[in-house]
Amino acid sequence: MPKLRHIAIAAEDPEAMAEFYKRAFDFKEVGRPNGYLADGVFLSDGTLNMAILKFKTDQLGKGMEYRGLHHFGVLVEDVDAFTKKLDELGARHYIDQGQDGHQAGYFEKKFFGPEGVLFDIAEHGWAGAEPLPAPLKDAAE
Amino acid sequence: MAKLRHLAIAAKDPDAMAEFYVKAFEFKIVRTSDGPLAYGHHLSDGTIDLAILRFKSDQIGKGMDYTGLHHFGILVENVDEAQKAVEALGGRHYLDTTVQGPGGFEVKMYGPEGVLFDVAEHPWTGAAALPSAVKAAAD
Repeated sequence: MPKLRHIAIAAEDPEAMAEFYKRAFDFKEVGRPNGYLADGVFLSDGTLNMAILKFKTDQLGKGMEYRGLHHFGVLVEDVDAFTKKLDELGARHYIDQGQDGHQAGYFEKKFFGPEGVLFDIAEHGWAGAEPLPAPLKDAAE
Repeated sequence: MAKLRHLAIAAKDPDAMAEFYVKAFEFKIVRTSDGPLAYGHHLSDGTIDLAILRFKSDQIGKGMDYTGLHHFGILVENVDEAQKAVEALGGRHYLDTTVQGPGGFEVKMYGPEGVLFDVAEHPWTGAAALPSAVKAAAD
Protein backbone atom coordinates (compact mmCIF):
# COMPACT_ATOMS: atom_id res chain seq x y z
CA MET A 1 0.00 0.00 0.00
CA PRO A 2 1.27 3.52 -0.72
CA LYS A 3 2.29 5.51 2.31
CA LEU A 4 1.96 9.12 3.39
CA ARG A 5 5.56 10.14 3.91
CA HIS A 6 5.76 13.90 3.41
CA ILE A 7 3.97 17.01 4.55
CA ALA A 8 4.93 20.53 3.54
CA ILE A 9 4.19 23.75 5.39
CA ALA A 10 4.34 27.18 3.79
CA ALA A 11 6.25 29.47 6.14
CA GLU A 12 7.46 33.04 6.12
CA ASP A 13 10.44 32.08 8.28
CA PRO A 14 11.26 28.38 7.77
CA GLU A 15 14.33 28.58 9.96
CA ALA A 16 12.39 29.76 13.02
CA MET A 17 9.52 27.36 12.41
CA ALA A 18 11.87 24.40 12.03
CA GLU A 19 13.64 25.35 15.23
CA PHE A 20 10.29 25.26 17.02
CA TYR A 21 9.47 21.70 15.90
CA LYS A 22 12.99 20.49 16.58
CA ARG A 23 12.86 21.79 20.14
CA ALA A 24 9.23 20.93 20.86
CA PHE A 25 9.15 17.37 19.45
CA ASP A 26 12.78 16.41 18.93
CA PHE A 27 12.35 16.20 15.16
CA LYS A 28 15.71 16.02 13.40
CA GLU A 29 16.91 18.30 10.66
CA VAL A 30 17.76 16.20 7.59
CA GLY A 31 18.21 18.73 4.82
CA ARG A 32 18.12 22.27 3.50
CA PRO A 33 16.31 22.25 0.17
CA ASN A 34 17.06 25.18 -2.07
CA GLY A 35 15.30 24.91 -5.40
CA TYR A 36 13.37 26.93 -7.90
CA LEU A 37 10.09 26.14 -6.14
CA ALA A 38 11.07 26.76 -2.52
CA ASP A 39 13.81 27.10 0.10
CA GLY A 40 13.60 25.79 3.61
CA VAL A 41 14.33 23.03 6.07
CA PHE A 42 13.55 19.31 5.98
CA LEU A 43 12.75 17.70 9.31
CA SER A 44 12.12 14.03 10.08
CA ASP A 45 10.33 12.19 12.86
CA GLY A 46 11.95 8.97 11.62
CA THR A 47 8.95 8.09 9.45
CA LEU A 48 7.81 11.23 7.65
CA ASN A 49 9.59 14.11 6.01
CA MET A 50 8.21 17.43 7.24
CA ALA A 51 9.23 20.19 4.85
CA ILE A 52 9.04 23.75 6.15
CA LEU A 53 9.32 25.90 3.09
CA LYS A 54 9.24 29.41 1.79
CA PHE A 55 7.62 28.96 -1.59
CA LYS A 56 8.67 31.02 -4.58
CA THR A 57 5.48 30.61 -6.58
CA ASP A 58 1.79 30.43 -5.75
CA GLN A 59 1.24 26.72 -6.34
CA LEU A 60 -2.09 26.58 -4.53
CA GLY A 61 -3.74 29.66 -5.96
CA LYS A 62 -4.16 31.01 -2.43
CA GLY A 63 -1.71 33.87 -2.88
CA MET A 64 1.95 34.32 -1.98
CA GLU A 65 0.97 35.38 1.52
CA TYR A 66 -0.56 31.97 2.27
CA ARG A 67 0.89 30.39 5.42
CA GLY A 68 0.02 26.96 6.76
CA LEU A 69 -0.11 23.38 5.60
CA HIS A 70 0.55 23.30 1.89
CA HIS A 71 0.68 19.79 0.43
CA PHE A 72 1.46 16.19 1.26
CA GLY A 73 3.37 13.41 -0.44
CA VAL A 74 2.59 9.77 -1.00
CA LEU A 75 5.35 7.22 -1.55
CA VAL A 76 4.33 4.71 -4.23
CA GLU A 77 5.97 1.71 -5.85
CA ASP A 78 5.49 2.86 -9.43
CA VAL A 79 5.00 6.52 -10.32
CA ASP A 80 3.92 5.76 -13.90
CA ALA A 81 1.24 3.30 -12.83
CA PHE A 82 -0.09 5.75 -10.25
CA THR A 83 0.01 8.61 -12.74
CA LYS A 84 -2.31 6.63 -14.99
CA LYS A 85 -4.61 5.81 -12.13
CA LEU A 86 -4.74 9.40 -10.92
CA ASP A 87 -5.49 10.65 -14.44
CA GLU A 88 -8.37 8.18 -14.66
CA LEU A 89 -9.73 9.40 -11.34
CA GLY A 90 -9.75 13.00 -12.57
CA ALA A 91 -6.67 14.32 -10.78
CA ARG A 92 -4.87 17.09 -12.64
CA HIS A 93 -1.15 16.75 -13.25
CA TYR A 94 0.65 19.92 -12.22
CA ILE A 95 4.41 19.54 -12.59
CA ASP A 96 7.27 17.10 -12.32
CA GLN A 97 10.18 17.98 -10.14
CA GLY A 98 13.70 16.64 -9.74
CA GLN A 99 16.04 14.51 -11.77
CA ASP A 100 18.50 17.25 -12.68
CA GLY A 101 21.03 19.41 -10.92
CA HIS A 102 21.03 19.31 -7.15
CA GLN A 103 18.00 17.03 -7.20
CA ALA A 104 19.66 14.29 -9.27
CA GLY A 105 18.18 10.91 -8.49
CA TYR A 106 15.10 12.43 -6.94
CA PHE A 107 11.80 12.73 -8.76
CA GLU A 108 8.25 13.53 -7.86
CA LYS A 109 5.07 14.37 -9.69
CA LYS A 110 2.65 16.92 -8.34
CA PHE A 111 -1.10 16.57 -8.79
CA PHE A 112 -4.21 18.43 -7.82
CA GLY A 113 -6.84 16.10 -6.37
CA PRO A 114 -10.47 16.91 -5.53
CA GLU A 115 -11.11 20.49 -4.43
CA GLY A 116 -7.66 21.54 -5.61
CA VAL A 117 -5.72 19.74 -2.89
CA LEU A 118 -2.10 19.45 -3.98
CA PHE A 119 -0.10 16.28 -3.40
CA ASP A 120 3.08 14.65 -4.68
CA ILE A 121 3.78 11.08 -5.58
CA ALA A 122 7.31 9.69 -5.60
CA GLU A 123 9.08 6.35 -5.74
CA HIS A 124 12.15 7.51 -3.86
CA GLY A 125 11.43 8.73 -0.39
CA TRP A 126 11.82 12.28 0.71
CA ALA A 127 14.82 12.95 2.96
CA GLY A 128 14.32 11.33 6.35
CA ALA A 129 11.22 9.41 5.28
CA GLU A 130 10.94 5.70 5.89
CA PRO A 131 10.90 3.53 2.75
CA LEU A 132 7.86 1.49 1.79
CA PRO A 133 7.63 -1.71 3.80
CA ALA A 134 9.12 -4.65 1.93
CA PRO A 135 6.45 -6.94 0.50
CA LEU A 136 5.81 -9.82 2.90
CA LYS A 137 7.26 -12.30 0.43
CA ASP A 138 10.56 -10.39 0.19
CA ALA A 139 10.68 -9.90 3.94
CA ALA A 140 10.24 -13.62 4.50
CA GLU A 141 13.08 -14.54 2.19
CA MET B 1 10.61 10.63 19.67
CA ALA B 2 7.17 12.09 18.99
CA LYS B 3 5.58 11.03 15.71
CA LEU B 4 3.47 12.72 13.07
CA ARG B 5 0.44 10.47 12.92
CA HIS B 6 -2.50 12.57 11.78
CA LEU B 7 -3.23 14.87 8.87
CA ALA B 8 -6.53 16.67 8.38
CA ILE B 9 -7.87 18.14 5.16
CA ALA B 10 -10.74 20.61 5.03
CA ALA B 11 -13.20 19.54 2.32
CA LYS B 12 -16.55 20.74 1.08
CA ASP B 13 -17.46 17.17 0.09
CA PRO B 14 -15.63 14.75 2.40
CA ASP B 15 -17.49 11.75 0.94
CA ALA B 16 -16.20 12.35 -2.59
CA MET B 17 -12.71 13.29 -1.47
CA ALA B 18 -12.38 10.22 0.73
CA GLU B 19 -13.56 8.03 -2.13
CA PHE B 20 -10.82 9.51 -4.32
CA TYR B 21 -8.02 8.62 -1.89
CA VAL B 22 -9.44 5.17 -1.26
CA LYS B 23 -9.47 4.45 -4.98
CA ALA B 24 -6.19 6.17 -5.75
CA PHE B 25 -4.01 4.81 -2.95
CA GLU B 26 -5.99 1.96 -1.37
CA PHE B 27 -6.23 3.88 1.90
CA LYS B 28 -8.90 2.32 4.13
CA ILE B 29 -11.81 4.18 5.67
CA VAL B 30 -11.49 3.34 9.35
CA ARG B 31 -14.08 5.67 10.83
CA THR B 32 -16.76 8.15 9.88
CA SER B 33 -17.47 10.82 12.45
CA ASP B 34 -19.92 13.66 12.92
CA GLY B 35 -18.91 15.61 16.00
CA PRO B 36 -19.20 19.20 17.20
CA LEU B 37 -16.10 20.24 15.28
CA ALA B 38 -16.46 18.43 11.96
CA TYR B 39 -18.07 15.76 9.80
CA GLY B 40 -16.01 13.40 7.71
CA HIS B 41 -13.99 10.27 7.21
CA HIS B 42 -10.77 8.96 8.69
CA LEU B 43 -8.59 7.06 6.27
CA SER B 44 -5.51 5.04 7.13
CA ASP B 45 -2.41 4.02 5.20
CA GLY B 46 -1.52 1.73 8.10
CA THR B 47 0.59 4.38 9.81
CA ILE B 48 -1.11 7.77 9.49
CA ASP B 49 -4.70 8.82 10.11
CA LEU B 50 -5.79 11.00 7.17
CA ALA B 51 -8.94 12.86 8.22
CA ILE B 52 -11.04 14.38 5.46
CA LEU B 53 -13.41 16.73 7.18
CA ARG B 54 -16.04 19.39 6.67
CA PHE B 55 -15.34 21.70 9.58
CA LYS B 56 -18.14 23.39 11.47
CA SER B 57 -16.11 26.36 12.68
CA ASP B 58 -13.22 28.41 11.37
CA GLN B 59 -10.37 26.99 13.45
CA ILE B 60 -7.53 28.38 11.36
CA GLY B 61 -8.85 31.85 10.56
CA LYS B 62 -8.97 31.26 6.81
CA GLY B 63 -12.74 31.42 6.55
CA MET B 64 -15.41 28.74 6.34
CA ASP B 65 -14.87 28.43 2.58
CA TYR B 66 -11.28 27.31 3.02
CA THR B 67 -10.48 23.92 1.54
CA GLY B 68 -7.08 22.26 1.67
CA LEU B 69 -4.69 20.93 4.25
CA HIS B 70 -5.88 22.05 7.66
CA HIS B 71 -3.83 20.69 10.56
CA PHE B 72 -1.65 17.80 11.60
CA GLY B 73 -1.36 15.72 14.75
CA ILE B 74 1.63 14.58 16.75
CA LEU B 75 1.54 11.50 18.92
CA VAL B 76 3.50 12.07 22.12
CA GLU B 77 4.26 10.08 25.23
CA ASN B 78 2.88 12.70 27.59
CA VAL B 79 0.40 15.39 26.53
CA ASP B 80 0.93 17.59 29.60
CA GLU B 81 4.67 17.70 29.07
CA ALA B 82 4.26 18.32 25.34
CA GLN B 83 1.83 21.17 25.99
CA LYS B 84 4.24 22.74 28.47
CA ALA B 85 7.12 22.42 26.00
CA VAL B 86 5.08 23.98 23.20
CA GLU B 87 3.92 26.86 25.40
CA ALA B 88 7.46 27.49 26.65
CA LEU B 89 8.48 27.86 23.00
CA GLY B 90 5.72 30.38 22.33
CA GLY B 91 2.99 28.03 21.06
CA ARG B 92 -0.57 28.90 22.00
CA HIS B 93 -3.17 26.53 23.41
CA TYR B 94 -6.42 26.55 21.41
CA LEU B 95 -8.70 23.91 22.87
CA ASP B 96 -8.90 20.48 24.42
CA THR B 97 -11.17 18.10 22.67
CA THR B 98 -12.43 14.60 23.17
CA VAL B 99 -12.45 12.61 19.98
CA GLN B 100 -14.57 9.57 19.26
CA GLY B 101 -12.91 6.20 19.20
CA PRO B 102 -9.68 5.11 20.81
CA GLY B 103 -7.98 8.46 20.12
CA GLY B 104 -9.66 9.79 23.24
CA PHE B 105 -8.27 13.18 24.04
CA GLU B 106 -6.21 15.70 22.17
CA VAL B 107 -4.94 19.22 22.74
CA LYS B 108 -5.05 21.64 19.84
CA MET B 109 -2.31 24.23 19.70
CA TYR B 110 -1.06 26.97 17.40
CA GLY B 111 2.62 26.94 16.56
CA PRO B 112 4.64 29.60 14.73
CA GLU B 113 2.79 31.53 12.02
CA GLY B 114 -0.55 30.25 13.32
CA VAL B 115 -0.09 26.67 12.14
CA LEU B 116 -2.59 24.48 13.99
CA PHE B 117 -1.63 21.06 15.29
CA ASP B 118 -2.90 18.49 17.78
CA VAL B 119 -0.95 16.57 20.36
CA ALA B 120 -2.33 13.30 21.72
CA GLU B 121 -1.09 10.34 23.73
CA HIS B 122 -3.35 7.77 22.10
CA PRO B 123 -3.05 7.06 18.39
CA TRP B 124 -5.77 8.43 16.17
CA THR B 125 -7.93 5.73 14.60
CA GLY B 126 -5.87 3.83 12.06
CA ALA B 127 -2.59 5.41 13.17
CA ALA B 128 0.37 3.37 14.39
CA ALA B 129 1.37 3.55 18.05
CA LEU B 130 4.62 5.12 19.16
CA PRO B 131 7.52 2.68 18.78
CA SER B 132 8.09 2.88 22.55
CA ALA B 133 4.50 1.72 23.18
CA VAL B 134 4.89 -1.16 20.73
CA LYS B 135 8.09 -2.23 22.47
CA ALA B 136 6.46 -2.02 25.91
CA ALA B 137 3.52 -4.13 24.72
CA ALA B 138 5.91 -6.75 23.36
CA ASP B 139 7.97 -6.95 26.56
